Amino acid sequence: MEKVLSRNFHHAQPLDLATYRAGGGYDSLQSIFGRDREEMVNELRASGLRGCGGAGFSTGLKWSFLAKDAPRPVYLVINLDESEPGSCKDRQVLYRDPHTIVEGVLASAYIIGADKAFVFVRGEYKVGAAKLEKAVQEARDAGLLGDNILGSGFSLDIDVHLSAGRYICGEETALLNALEGYRANPRSKPPFPAVKGLWGQPTIVNNMETVCHVPSIMHKGAQWFQGQGQNGGSGTHLFQVSGPVKNPGVFELPMGVTARELIYDHAGGLLDGRKLIAFQPGGSSTPFMTPDQLDTPMHFDAVAKIGSRLGTGGVIIMDDTICPLKYTRNLIEFYARESCGFCTPCRDGLPYLVHLFDKFELGTATAADHQTILELCGLIGPNTHCALAPGAVMPVQSALQLFDDEFKKHIAAKGCSYSPVAATASQAAAGAGVQGGHH
Amino acid sequence: MSLTEHEIEHLREHIEHYPEKRAGAIYCLYYVQDKYGYIPRASLDEVSELTDLSPTQLDELITFYTLLRRRPVGRRLIRICDSISCYTRGSEQVLAAAKEASGVEFGQISKDGAVTVLPSICLGLCDRAPAGLVDDSEDLGELTPEKIRDLICSYAAETLDSKSGGGQQILAVLKDQQ
Ligand SMILES: Cc1cc2nc3c(=O)[nH]c(=O)nc-3n(C[C@H](O)[C@H](O)[C@H](O)COP(=O)(O)O)c2cc1C
Ligand code: SF4
Ligand code: FES
Ligand code: FES
Repeated sequence: MEKVLSRNFHHAQPLDLATYRAGGGYDSLQSIFGRDREEMVNELRASGLRGCGGAGFSTGLKWSFLAKDAPRPVYLVINLDESEPGSCKDRQVLYRDPHTIVEGVLASAYIIGADKAFVFVRGEYKVGAAKLEKAVQEARDAGLLGDNILGSGFSLDIDVHLSAGRYICGEETALLNALEGYRANPRSKPPFPAVKGLWGQPTIVNNMETVCHVPSIMHKGAQWFQGQGQNGGSGTHLFQVSGPVKNPGVFELPMGVTARELIYDHAGGLLDGRKLIAFQPGGSSTPFMTPDQLDTPMHFDAVAKIGSRLGTGGVIIMDDTICPLKYTRNLIEFYARESCGFCTPCRDGLPYLVHLFDKFELGTATAADHQTILELCGLIGPNTHCALAPGAVMPVQSALQLFDDEFKKHIAAKGCSYSPVAATASQAAAGAGVQGGHH
Repeated sequence: MSLTEHEIEHLREHIEHYPEKRAGAIYCLYYVQDKYGYIPRASLDEVSELTDLSPTQLDELITFYTLLRRRPVGRRLIRICDSISCYTRGSEQVLAAAKEASGVEFGQISKDGAVTVLPSICLGLCDRAPAGLVDDSEDLGELTPEKIRDLICSYAAETLDSKSGGGQQILAVLKDQQ
C-alpha cells in the first residue's frame, strides 16, 4: 500500500509549494489537462472511489449526474465541516498538507468543468483554514490557479470559506444555505445540488478526502487504486480510532483492513484491564459492531452487510467500564443539541429521548419508558426533513437490541450500577498524529 | 465603537466576490467579533449597511451559529469537548474541574476576567481526547482535571500581569481548593 493522503505527514511543517512540487505534487495535472472529461468520470467510476463524507456514494456516478450542457457557472463545493463525533481525519490533511487539498480540488474541478470552487471549513479549524488560504495563494502566484491554468484554457479560483459552528452545516444542502449567508437548515431534495445548488446553479458537493483521492487515481489509474484496497475494498482511507485504546490516532490504511487489525495492531488495543464491549465503525451515528465482528473488512459494503455503516471510518470504542446507557445518552444529547430545529420529530423527539434515558440513570424508569424509547425511534427515523435525526436514532436502536438486558437491569435496580466515567487522558505524546500503514 | 474607513473598504471588497451580498455576512460578523471580542449593537448597524440585511436578520445568523456571540467573554475562551470520544476518556471530570477553577457557570466570565469556559461539540481532536480549544485557535489534547486547572491558573496569572489587571480572586479560589 502506498500512502496518498498522508504521504507528506512526516514533515514537521506543511510543505510550501516548491517542496510539494519537488515531491511530485501537481504532476497529476499532466494526466488530467487535455483528457476527455467523460472518459475521466468513467475511470473514476471504475476505480470504486466512494464518498468519504459518510454516505459512501460512488463519486464517479455523482459526477455523471451533472448535465453536459449544465447552465454556467458550475460550482464545486468541498465539505470540510467535519463535526461528527469520532471523526478527525480531514483536519489532519488541512493542518499538515494543505497543497494536497488544493491539488485535489483543482483536479476535480477540471474533470467536472467547474467555474469556481468553495472550500467550506468549520470555524473551529480556523488555523487550518489560514494554512489552506496560504497554499491557495501560493498556487495563484505560480499560475496553478487563476485564468488559463498552465495554458490549458481552464480557469479556476478557490474560495476558502470559514464557517461559524453547528454540526448541521455538514449536511450538503444546509451547507449551501450556510455559504449563501442563511441559517443552515437543509433544503428539500429534489432538486439535488447537481441540478440546483449554490445560488441555484449546478453544484457538486464532496467531502475533502474524496477529492484528495482524485489526482492519484487519474495519474496512476483505476486499477492501481483498486489494488490499494484489501478484502474487496478500493483505495486507501484515513481511518480513525478513538476512545479507550492505547494509541488513538488517524491511520491511512487499505480500504477493507479488518476492524481487528485497525483496533489492535494500529490503535494498540484497549487500555490495560479494559474489555471491548462494542464499537461504532464510522462516527457517532453508526450502529454498534460487536467483538465477534472484529474480522469484518472495513469497507462500505462489508460493514453494511452486517447492519452498520462505514460512515467516516472513525471507530469509537465502548469498553466495559462505561455504562452502555450512559454512552448512548451522550450520543443522543449531541444530536438533540445540534438539531437545526426545522422539523418537529427531530427538534422535539430527540430531547424527549434524552429525558427518557435520564430516567434510567435516575432510577425512575419503567418498562413503559423502555417501550416508549423503542417506539419513538421508529417514529423519528423515517419522518424527518434530513438525515441528522435518522443518524441519531440508528445507534439507539442498535443499543436497544444489544443491551436489552442492561435496560431491564436499570429498571429493576432503580438506577445504574456503573461508576462515573474515569478521566484517562492518554500518555501518548501530544500531536502523535497520523501513523502509517505498517510500523 | 465603529469600523474605520479602511476596514469598511476591506469588508466591502470581500463581500463583492460573492454573487449576493448576504454571503459575506459571516465574514463581516467574524471581523467585528475579532476586533471587539463580541458583536456589539453598533457593529450590527454597520454590517447591516454593508450586507443589506437588517440587524434582526443578522441576529438570526448570530443566534444560529455557535461561534458568533453578542456578549463579551473572558480574555481566554476555553472550549472543552463533551462528545463521545472525549466523554469515554473523562471529559465530564475535565469540564467539572474547569468550571470549578473558573469559579462561575459555563459561559460566564470569571470574576477576574481571565476565562470563559464552554462545553463544545466534537472538535475533530478525538484522537487526542479529552480535547479542548482555546480562543478557537490553540488545541488542547490529553486533558486531565489537573491540566485544565493549571491552565486556568496560568491564564489568571497572565491576566494579573496584564494591564487589564484582576486575577487575585481566581488565584484565591484556586488556593482555597488546595
Ligand atoms: C447531519 C449531517 C452532517 C454531515 N456532516 C458532514 C461533514 O461534516 N463532512 C462531510 O464531508 N459530509 C458530511 N455529511 C454528508 C454530506 O451531506 C454529503 O453527503 C457529503 O459531503 C458528500 O460528499 P462525498 O460524496 O464526497 O462523501 C453530513 C450529512 C448529514 C446528514
Ligand atoms: S432532521 Fe433535525 S437537523 Fe434535519 S432538518 Fe429536521 S430538525 Fe433539522
Ligand atoms: S444510565 Fe447512567 S450510568 Fe447507567
Ligand atoms: S469527540 Fe471530542 S474531539 Fe471529537
